Amino acid sequence: MASFATATRLTTRLISRRVAQDAASRGFRTSAASLAAQNFTMPALSPTMTEGNIANWKIKEGESFSAGDVLLEIETDKATMDVEAQDDGVLVKITQGDGSKNVQVGTRIGVVAEPGDDINSLEIPADEQPAQKEAKKDEPERKQDSQSAAPEKKTSGPKKTGEKAPPQKYPLYPSVEHLIKEHRLDGSAISEITPTGPAGRLLKGDVLAYLGSVSSGRPAEIKARFDHNSHLDLSNIKVAAPKEAPKKAEKAAAPETPTPIYHVVSSTISLARVIEVQKKIENTLDTFIPLSTFVARATEIANDELPLPSNYEPTADELFNQVLGLDKASRKGSRGHYLPQISALPSPSFTGVAPKPKKQVDIIDFLAGSAKTPTPKPRKTGPHGGISTGSNIFSLSVPKAEEKRAQTFLQRVKAVLEEDPGRLIL
Amino acid sequence: MEKGLRYRSRLILLFIILSYRPPLLIANQPGAEEKDLVIIGGGVAGYVAAIKAGQEGLKVTCIEKRGRLGGTCLNVGCIPSKSLLNNSHLYHQILHDSKPRGIEVGDVQLNLQAMMKAKDTSVTGLTKGIEYLFKKNGVEYIKGTGSFASEHEIKVQLNDGGETSVVGKNILIATGSESTPFPGLEFDEKRVVTSTGALSLEKVPEKLIVIGGGIIGLEMGSVWSRLGAKVTVVEFLDQIGGPGMDSQIAKEAQKVLKKQGIEFKLGTKVVSGENTGDNVKLQVDSAKGGKPESLEADVVLVAIGRRPYTAGLGLENIGLELDERGRVVIDSEYRTKASHIRCIGDCTFGPMLAHKAEEEAVAAVEYIKKGYGHVNYGVIPSVMYTYPEVAWVGQNEQELKSQNIPYKVGTFPFSANSRAKTNLDTEGFVKMIADPETDRLLGCHIIGPNAGEMIAEATLALEYGASTEDIARTCHAHPTLAEAFKEAAMATYSKAIHF
Ligand SMILES: Cc1cc2nc3c(=O)[nH]c(=O)nc-3n(C[C@H](O)[C@H](O)[C@H](O)COP(=O)(O)OP(=O)(O)OC[C@H]3O[C@@H](n4cnc5c(N)ncnc54)[C@H](O)[C@@H]3O)c2cc1C
Repeated sequence: MASFATATRLTTRLISRRVAQDAASRGFRTSAASLAAQNFTMPALSPTMTEGNIANWKIKEGESFSAGDVLLEIETDKATMDVEAQDDGVLVKITQGDGSKNVQVGTRIGVVAEPGDDINSLEIPADEQPAQKEAKKDEPERKQDSQSAAPEKKTSGPKKTGEKAPPQKYPLYPSVEHLIKEHRLDGSAISEITPTGPAGRLLKGDVLAYLGSVSSGRPAEIKARFDHNSHLDLSNIKVAAPKEAPKKAEKAAAPETPTPIYHVVSSTISLARVIEVQKKIENTLDTFIPLSTFVARATEIANDELPLPSNYEPTADELFNQVLGLDKASRKGSRGHYLPQISALPSPSFTGVAPKPKKQVDIIDFLAGSAKTPTPKPRKTGPHGGISTGSNIFSLSVPKAEEKRAQTFLQRVKAVLEEDPGRLIL
Repeated sequence: MEKGLRYRSRLILLFIILSYRPPLLIANQPGAEEKDLVIIGGGVAGYVAAIKAGQEGLKVTCIEKRGRLGGTCLNVGCIPSKSLLNNSHLYHQILHDSKPRGIEVGDVQLNLQAMMKAKDTSVTGLTKGIEYLFKKNGVEYIKGTGSFASEHEIKVQLNDGGETSVVGKNILIATGSESTPFPGLEFDEKRVVTSTGALSLEKVPEKLIVIGGGIIGLEMGSVWSRLGAKVTVVEFLDQIGGPGMDSQIAKEAQKVLKKQGIEFKLGTKVVSGENTGDNVKLQVDSAKGGKPESLEADVVLVAIGRRPYTAGLGLENIGLELDERGRVVIDSEYRTKASHIRCIGDCTFGPMLAHKAEEEAVAAVEYIKKGYGHVNYGVIPSVMYTYPEVAWVGQNEQELKSQNIPYKVGTFPFSANSRAKTNLDTEGFVKMIADPETDRLLGCHIIGPNAGEMIAEATLALEYGASTEDIARTCHAHPTLAEAFKEAAMATYSKAIHF
């Protein structure tokens, strides 16, 4: 993706800074060029892109833009992409408006200038498209490089030689700089050197080939080899005969297979004390407190801070703390939402099936009081027999990972209901 | 009263029925929303793609069956092996290399359990880190085994029981690889082990045989050799390190490892093996038809390579192809026959390396999102984390020779590097290969302290088409090991100063 990013980022880089520097330090570009507006050409958004459609311009002629602003949207056969400005500037003119189709890479699509430039007095550079077409005809191979470099190199300054390679938009490599100085190459000479480096960079070998110290085709040969090596070798794939059933042992690298669904955790809990208390209250206060209230309150208490399921998934914050090693104080437990299933220990005398109860106030209260309870999931209740005044089985069916959590819950329910149920009410 | 109680007890039954519902995955009922991208496998390839897709604003789900993210690399590969390599090296150095440095150490004890725990801590921290990144980037994570129900629907057997299914506009296969078994020797991960077993042996074996002298075999062999095992490496080829390693470097590595106590049997083929329960017996033959021999060890590590893992994926349900080596067949944009199903990482073509998988992950998501992605396969570094480390990038000498490509070579030994000398750590050298005419760097091969870090500079140089002169003209701090790198570059294009 690097080259896409480079291409888009580079499209509108204004050359003034570099040109000024180049002019001062190397003197291979005239300063006149830096004062003129710049042609802005169709960028190559991928190495294979040759043309594109202009979906729409996001800024108008005469408007300024800052680095990072989206200038326009370009459509190719593959995707629609935004072209962002790398530097600040002014859009002087749009030469290919919204909806222009099949605009060749390198064709002028607009003219840009430095921020603050007086666009009325600026000289509009000539469209250099014809020259580019020629170059394309002569050297199809090199075109790729000129594509991504295109936007920057179009200047209206006088040219000593015919258009050749795009000017270098990156700092020159140390070896290249060295050779240029050593051989006193000037700007026009440099523009005649064909670059073979990534994204049109000039390499040492390119200069050596230009100077005639190595064979002229050598850099391109090496480039071709690098291009070749840069791809996965997908030639000569021998497709295996389709297999019907995969017989490779699943165990190899595979972790253990998923465990079955639910585990029943249960505890025998006597309601004798509860009923005692219930009677006592009814007798002394003349208030009947339904059993469900006792159970609900016991459940409420027992659900507090239960041990985490073994497959507990921490929240992003908890994970972050763990990553930083700050998890010492992190949660050891969480509130549960268990509601036990209750049935009397099987007694031979009871065979009836519970009729569908009508909704009663205490049930509704109960439900309202546990609003966090997840939606019901009917499960077979097994051999139940209502509730006995003596021992009842309280059970939960839970995934394996929650066994311990559920057991703790039941232990607490048992403790509260059997030891001091009065406190649940008073 | 009795009656009333009965009645009320039935009321209780009502909310009994409300009893319990698994809190997980309510959103994943069949027919739920379609995802932009569904990824099967949460290894390096899968998790990186998931995070990248999340960052790109895609609705993404990642399915992983291991119970932890990070795949082979984080759980049983790169990370735990490097933990053991680092700590066993420290132990070995304290034992054998402290006196000459003026450090007198008393009784040195190995606490293998603690060493394993340190390893587990690193692994847990890193896998948790990925889980955090999933949350941060809005990636839905399903713990379970995915398989194709149709071209757009993945059925998932949840690890906690039950089943769900996800529908994706795009699907990415990133199911990784597994150890290639040795015919006739079944893995029990106690005596006949894969690298996974070798990463958690309960005690240091007296004798360990490593079948296969590639990177994984040499790394794990080094660990146990440093901790006291007598290690023999049996390799079919005439060179250790696998085909990518430069022959000259491989010879040097073998010499150094031999000095550390590892025995090598190159050009030797394991014919058969038997796990008696008390030990393992191997019959070996010289590959060139020499005399057969029989070897014995308490533990045999089979490290003869890894193979793509696609078992249970149900590729046959939708007619996706594998090649004869089990790799998922793709095109240059990672697309399978069905163009919305892509495949990356160890289960398809290319080197089985974590950073290769990672690059592909980003490129694959970019293909999906933007229509263009890129990985430069010519510039993927390799590192062997033995001591000293071996690292390389680009082409090696034997490759160039066999392709009749002209080249020039420059080397610089660490024994002439001031930092290596001060560190009393001078084994190895840097070797650069460049085009003899243009000086463009073609490959770089390093054996020596910190080679794995140093190779990054060579990788950058290659990526940018640098010549060795460019490297040599770039300032390197003194005194650093990296100066050896610079001097090797000088030696390639002109002359080293310090050698
Ligand atoms: C001992 C060892 C040391 C290594 N050291 C290095 C090193 O130092 N540097 C390096 O670059 N590389 C190293 N590697 C290689 C590296 O681990 C792999 O290249 C990397 O893990 C490949 O990533 P991947 O995502 O393609 O596959 P994997 O990491 O194998 O991940 C695939 C994941 O997919 C899951 N999966 C498979 N099928 C399904 C399914 N149907 N449903 C759901 N999930 C599924 C698997 O459980 C697995 O977690 C090492 C490997 C080993 C074994």
